[in-house]
Amino acid sequence: MEKGIKILYLYPDMLELYGDYGNIQVLKYRLEKRNFYCIIDRYSIGDNPPDFSSYDLVFAGGGADQEQSILADDLIKYKENIKEAIQNGTFFLLICGAYQLFGKYYKGVDGNVISGLDIFPYYTEAIEDRKKRCIGNIVLNVKLGDISTEVIGFENHGGQTFDVFSPFGNVLFGNGNKFGDSKEGFFLDNVIATYLHGPLLSKNPVLTDFILKYCLDRKYNKDIKLEPLNDSFEELCRKQLLERFNIK
Amino acid sequence: MYNFLIILFTKILNRLLKLFHKNGGNILGKIALKLNSNILKYFKVNCPVIAVTATNGKTSTNNCIRYTLSQAGYKVISNSEGNNMKTGILSTLLKNSSLTGKIKADFLCFEVDESYVPIIFKDFRLDTLIILNFFRDQLDRNGEVESLILKINEFLKTYNNNLILNNDDPNVARLGLANPNNSNVYYYHADAYSNATKDMLDAGEGKFCPFCKTRLKYEYYQYSHIGKFICPNCNFGDNKIYKTATEIDLDKKVFYVEGIPYYMHNNSIYTVYNNLAIISVCSLYEIDVEIIQDSLKNFSLNNGRLEEVIIKDSPTIINLAKNPTGANVSLRLLNEDSLSKDLLFVLNDNVADGFDVSWIWDINFDKLKNVDRIVTSGTRAYDIAIRIKTSGFNENKIFAIPNLDDATKKLYETNNKKYVIANYTALQPTRTALFKLK
Repeated sequence: MEKGIKILYLYPDMLELYGDYGNIQVLKYRLEKRNFYCIIDRYSIGDNPPDFSSYDLVFAGGGADQEQSILADDLIKYKENIKEAIQNGTFFLLICGAYQLFGKYYKGVDGNVISGLDIFPYYTEAIEDRKKRCIGNIVLNVKLGDISTEVIGFENHGGQTFDVFSPFGNVLFGNGNKFGDSKEGFFLDNVIATYLHGPLLSKNPVLTDFILKYCLDRKYNKDIKLEPLNDSFEELCRKQLLERFNIK
Repeated sequence: MYNFLIILFTKILNRLLKLFHKNGGNILGKIALKLNSNILKYFKVNCPVIAVTATNGKTSTNNCIRYTLSQAGYKVISNSEGNNMKTGILSTLLKNSSLTGKIKADFLCFEVDESYVPIIFKDFRLDTLIILNFFRDQLDRNGEVESLILKINEFLKTYNNNLILNNDDPNVARLGLANPNNSNVYYYHADAYSNATKDMLDAGEGKFCPFCKTRLKYEYYQYSHIGKFICPNCNFGDNKIYKTATEIDLDKKVFYVEGIPYYMHNNSIYTVYNNLAIISVCSLYEIDVEIIQDSLKNFSLNNGRLEEVIIKDSPTIINLAKNPTGANVSLRLLNEDSLSKDLLFVLNDNVADGFDVSWIWDINFDKLKNVDRIVTSGTRAYDIAIRIKTSGFNENKIFAIPNLDDATKKLYETNNKKYVIANYTALQPTRTALFKLK
């Protein structure tokens, strides 16, 4: 294995509520099946500061409210380093809580405001009624370069995200950035931020390979071909769910 | 008078349901609550009331307590079928009370859904509350574990009766401090067993001290976040222990408390903890040691909680798993078994299961030992197949078959020992499909 990618996994012990670690496992699986290496470095509070630009992909997931506020104070220390990495082209995959933290701020149910990194201009406010959350299966149509694909996942968020100028996808089933929204997530060049759990990459091999190809092409400065894998379980799973939600 | 009529009416209804071989379940309670939302206050109870709550193990533990107390000669009324919300408990009371609301029994024993503890026992006396564990569970239905714990903590602030707590679960042990004036808090603890680890292997909660937010230090983990821990800053966890399990030997299915051996019906570390809770409560009510020993050894529910059966000459173990910890405990048992095995995993996403199946990614499928084949089934058969494949298990040996009858047939194509894991709504249909092959 000469070629491969290096992933930085942020706050694995805190942002790990909804099986989001599965995304890292899927990335690793699809790399190693094709004889690429996959190095995963973890960073959490108290560890040595990471150099974000030295990674091909940075991943962070969703967590409990309490833990989110603890780590927001830590993450903000790396704001400039993170900005630089994004400009340099490191891919960022941010799920749920991490999605929110990269925006201006998150306003909680009790009115408490957690400052975000303010890297992107969107912001999130929780609905006052604690019981009201966007919960359920969700399907998006997403454009990845020339490819148009359905992305299937599960959303579970009280936060409503506003002022997203460049969404990840159009909602075909489910809510999205807000209750009954037609748009979901945020997608700009090398950053995908979304509410989709599932985990996101587990049922979406096209999306996963898009991210992997981006990372490999950028790193080795050439058009790298990804061998097709046996995705029969994924295809059956997608077919079953899309039929259930009356899509296509 | 009104309450009298409600009870009379529900009793007649219960008789009618019985005539048609229907089990009331929650219906009687539902109707009674509709007619009077305060009816719980109407019942007159003169015997001790015991309640068990937890994420995992409520039904098994409550039933074993009920059995042990009955073996000791007491009349026990219990929601043994597991209807553990307000309506279920109310149904149990309605069936067993006189028309004036009198309950004639020596003990009332309930399993109670975690979120219903504060709701039920604000209107009903409670003498002993047992809390086994808190794990992440059906997040889309229940919300985060933390908010559940905070609600119980609030309830316990004014509670002064017996409180039996698992000292090896930080999320449970913290509740002992909810009311600093309660002198009736009893903690239980288990020494490390042979497969305890230095690091946490499975998904778990409670990594930080709930009082001072310092990272907790663990001497060992038994499973998930259950283990011997302490807060290095404020000493949280350093409690006086009421019952300690020592010399745990799962091969011989035995552990000791105060030098007395307790043999178990099965060989899971998870059972040791449930049994410690049973020993603690029985000891508080001065039940003979021999009776406790006998029931821990012999009592079994046979309803898909570590149920052992022989099907087509293959020993088969069926276990319910509604959340990552439940599944990890089953897989731990499977890996501790040195025989060649096949696994059936049945995953549904019906309302009672929660629609979100992402919890299966918190199940630790790495390094499965001596597993030859895996069959997956249920409404989410493909999701669990993808999960297992991604963990590195040979994809050609995974068979995803949504139809249960076809899946169980596939399972018994070999003579290997079988392990069957099924989530909530999958459990009984899976048992039915399995027993058809018997």
